[in-house]
Formats: sequence, structure tokens, C-alpha cells
Amino acid sequence: MKGHTLFNWIFAILASLVLLFIIAPLAGMFLDSSFSEMRSTATDPAVRRSVWFTLAIAFASTFLFALGAVPLAWIMARRNFPLKNMVQGIIDLPVVLPHTAAGIALLGFLSRDGLLGGAAQKAGIMLVNNGAGIAMAMSFVSLPFLINAARDGFAAVPERTEKAALMLGASPSRIFFTVSLPQAWRSVVSGFIMMFARGMSEFGAVVIIAYHPMIAPVLIYDRFNTYGLSAARPASILFILVALVFFVLFRILATERRQIFRREDDAAD
Amino acid sequence: MLRTEKLCKRLDSFYLRDISLEVAQGEYYVLLGRSGAGKTQLLEVICGLTPPDSGKVFLEGEEITRKKVQDRGIGLVFQDLALFPHYSVQDNIMYPLKLRKMSSTERNERVRHAADQMNITDLLHRKPGNLSGGEKQRVALARTLVTEPKILLLDEPMASVDASLKDSIRRMLRRLNRSGQTIVHVTHDFGEAVSLASRVGVMHNGRIIQNGTPAEVFTHPVNRFVARYAGFKNFFRVTFVKSYNNWSCITDSRTKFRLTKGDYPSSGLLIIPSTEVFISRQGAAGVEINNIPGVIDDIVPSPLGYEITVDAGDIFYADITHREMLEQKFFTGENVIISFRSGSLRLVGESDE
Repeated sequence: MKGHTLFNWIFAILASLVLLFIIAPLAGMFLDSSFSEMRSTATDPAVRRSVWFTLAIAFASTFLFALGAVPLAWIMARRNFPLKNMVQGIIDLPVVLPHTAAGIALLGFLSRDGLLGGAAQKAGIMLVNNGAGIAMAMSFVSLPFLINAARDGFAAVPERTEKAALMLGASPSRIFFTVSLPQAWRSVVSGFIMMFARGMSEFGAVVIIAYHPMIAPVLIYDRFNTYGLSAARPASILFILVALVFFVLFRILATERRQIFRREDDAAD
Repeated sequence: MLRTEKLCKRLDSFYLRDISLEVAQGEYYVLLGRSGAGKTQLLEVICGLTPPDSGKVFLEGEEITRKKVQDRGIGLVFQDLALFPHYSVQDNIMYPLKLRKMSSTERNERVRHAADQMNITDLLHRKPGNLSGGEKQRVALARTLVTEPKILLLDEPMASVDASLKDSIRRMLRRLNRSGQTIVHVTHDFGEAVSLASRVGVMHNGRIIQNGTPAEVFTHPVNRFVARYAGFKNFFRVTFVKSYNNWSCITDSRTKFRLTKGDYPSSGLLIIPSTEVFISRQGAAGVEINNIPGVIDDIVPSPLGYEITVDAGDIFYADITHREMLEQKFFTGENVIISFRSGSLRLVGESDE
């Protein structure tokens, strides 16, 4: 019993140290900023424009790429095909790449000498230093979060319900929209929020594609380089608060999903 | 109605072999077999969820082997029922009707009729997660029946139902069959097959090894496997001997049985129903009676009394009533005499285990 208590104490201390490591810098940043600094930053048109621009681009890119990512997730959950493991590796690749390296790779693809950039330029669209390029950089590094969460969601849908719908006369597309997606939607929404949150906080890949127009992480970096720590801190706090809203939203959704699964398990018992 | 011709399908570690069966219009056909015998795979091949490697499926004379699942007119209720958890009971039953061209009035009328038929009208607004096994079973049946299938396939329909509710589901299935619905029912439960089937097919290792009415199959099993399924426990591999126009046989353990007159092969498998094996201390008299001494090895309570195991060189099982046990007071280790009529012995095919 004594050993058990000692074990609990050691684990509690180690866990507290890790939590402190996460909380301390953030708390310090909040404590070091005055209310007047925060108010003037919140009313700074450049900061406000940058935060809204970041949110809009992150949302639009998540939404657009979801149109392809969700079907890809379904295929990964439901179909077996040659080189499936390699395809999964490709999906996970952006997570392990250094983000600046991802930015360099994207720049080669999106610049006017690149495959997509060249084609876009012929249509009169510049992808570099443009919202479209930023959206691609954000999506490149954050797509795995949506694909993997949605894939897990589709995999958890009982395949028999899809077969039952087929037996009842439904077409494959109808089965997807009326049986598979409704049962997996919480995972898809969780993945959507994770991709959105990860995309809007991206700096490394975006700064290589487009310094301007400035997204919030680039603006914070710019303020730090130009005016120093005290100027960057209030903008960081503002952006963290916005990010926190979406983080909490995700946590609520995830908790709700666990409770639903638990209720279903209890009902099955 | 439904006919399959030499259906074959190789799955991962399993092989459906030469499945040829016929189910007539209005028949209640029960496919009986242990889990892993290939019953569910056969249903999936018949309804088109799994394409066969070879062979053909006919429904009402039309070949449907390559026809789309949705167009076959076959209804299948899965063992796990596969209700849509995100829809209410009403929406589950409505689901197939929304795929068909009909007015909403007709749809509602059909849902109401199916719910009445299955006695689930008061459950229409509940979600499947809040239903009992029996209620889910009725909802799954209602959802399939609204499609008015030419033939209804049921995969272990009693599997998720409490024992107390099985009778009501059986009654419901019999009523459904009497109303003209052709049914193919897959089960591992011998009692279920006897109580429902107009014909039975016994499946073992991916083959149908015997077909017939329940009485035919269970009184004249073609081999040891079917006999075991029918509840026979007394099996004896014997060599037949004819001397002075009288037949007898000798088991592998050298026990000798007298037989009735007839034609016998040189060797074979004999069974005796345990209800026709009698135990006493003095034996029974009669020309056609076999009396074999042995020792009681075990006495186990059974639903109708006791099952007594006697070691007489071969092992014999005998069923006795509570009353007989009270009168005779048999005990383990006691020397007794096994008696049975020669006419009780039945010859079956070779072992197929």
C-alpha cells in the first residue's frame, strides 16, 4: 500500500512537471502583457485583418480539400488495393516533414516555373504571395489530420449496415451519404477542426510561399523581428485566444463522441 | 422458386463446394450447421453480396447469378441485424421505401402495416440503440418485409433473442410463412430447425450433406455428423456377421449385438437412441432383446430426468425419468445390465467428421 502511494506521488510529480512546462510559458506571456497593450493590439487594423484573413483562408482551404480528403479517407477505410500501405505513408508524410522543407517543395510546385504555378499563371493567377498559395501550404501540412480522423470514423462504421442498405436497394452513393457518412460524421468533423486548427497555426511552409498577405503567425514573427518581444506578445495572445476557442470546440466534440460510443456500448450490453 | 446449381466459392481459408439446392414457393427451408460450416457465406452468395467462383443461382426460373444485388428481389436479415443506429425505427423501415417510386401516403401506410404485423407500432419513434434483442429483430424483419421480397433469407434470426422470446419469434416466422412468404433460415440450433422447417439441409465443411423433411433427416441421418446433430449419442462402428440365417454384429470393443433379419453390409455405423436404452439390475427378457452387462460411469441430471453413462466395454448413454430414478436408486459404480431391442439399432452411413 505504501509502495502504491509512493508510485502515485512519483507519477503525479512527473505529470505536473510536464503540465507546468506547457502552462508556464503561456501563463508568463499573459502575465507580462498589460490590458492597454492587449486593447490596442485588438483594435490594430493590421492585426485584426491578419487574424480574420488567417481564419478565412484556413476554413476555405479545409473545406475545399475536404471534398477530396473525405472520399480518400473512405477508400482507405473500406477498400483493399495494391500498395495501400504506401498510399498511407504518403498521406502521413507531411506530418514528419520539416515544415520549411514542405514550403520549399511546394514553392517549386506553385512558382511560375512549377507545374501548377505555371498552369495557373497562364490563366492569370499567381499562386505565390497569394491567398491561394497560402491555402495550399496550410492544407499540405494539415491534410493528414482530416484524412486519418475520417478514415478511423469510416472504419468504425459497421460494414454490415452498408451491406444491409445495399440489400434494401440503395446505390453506392446513396449508401455513402445516408449510412456511412452519418455514422462517421463526428470523426469527420473532428478531423475537419483539427485540420483547420493546424492549418491556421502554420508558419514554416506558409512563410516560404507568401510573406504577404500576412497570416497571423507571419505577422507575429514580423512584429518580433521588427519591434521585439513586447510588440509580438499581445498579437500572440490574441491569436492564441482565437486558436483556443477552436481547440475547446474540438475537445467538446471529441468528448461527446466518446460518450455516444459508451452509451451505445451500454445499450448493446 | 430458388435453385442453385453447383455453387462454389473459395474464401480465405474456406471453400463452399458444389452447393445445389432447391427451395419451393412457400417453403420454409432451414439450413442447419455448426458455426463455420459456410451457411452465412452461402446466403451471401445467393443474395449477390459475394460473387460465386462457379455455379448458378436461379430465382423464379430466371438466372440471377450476375444480377445486381439491388435488383434480385431477395430480402436478407443479417445475424447482427444491421439496423441503422442513426435513424429511428420508423426511418429504418422507411429507408427502402424512399428508394422506390411511391407517394408518401403509400410509404406511411406500408410502414404502419409492417409495424402492425411485427407488433412494433409503439417503438416507431425510438432509436435502435434503445431496443431489446427481440425488438431489434422485429424491426429488422419489418424493414426487409416492406420491400416485399420474393424470398426471405434469415441468418441466425434467434441469435440475439432471449430464450423467453424465442417462442414468440418462432410463432411470428411460422405465421409469416403460412401467409405465403418463402423463407430460407440459417441456424446452428437443431430444435429451431425441427420446430420451423418444412425441409432441412444439413451443412458441414462447405457442403450440404443431407436434405429432406426434418423427420427424414433426423430419424435416418446419413452419417455420424448428422446423427450427432439430431442428438444421438450411442454410436458403434461394427462388423456384421451372419450365422445360420441370424445376423449379429461386433463392435470395435468386441461387444456383440443381435440384429433383426435383413441385409447388412460387411461393416458400418450403428446408432441407438438413448431413450431406447434401458438399465436394470436383472436385464430384460425376449428373443429380440440385447442384454449387456456394464458399470455405471456417470449420472447427470437432464431436462426430463437423468442421463446415465454405462461402461460396458463400449460406452452407452441411457435416458431415464425422475420417477425411474426414484424407484431404482441407481448409483455410480453399480453393476447393471443395458437392454435394448434389436429393432432400435439403426444403420447409418460412414463417419464424416
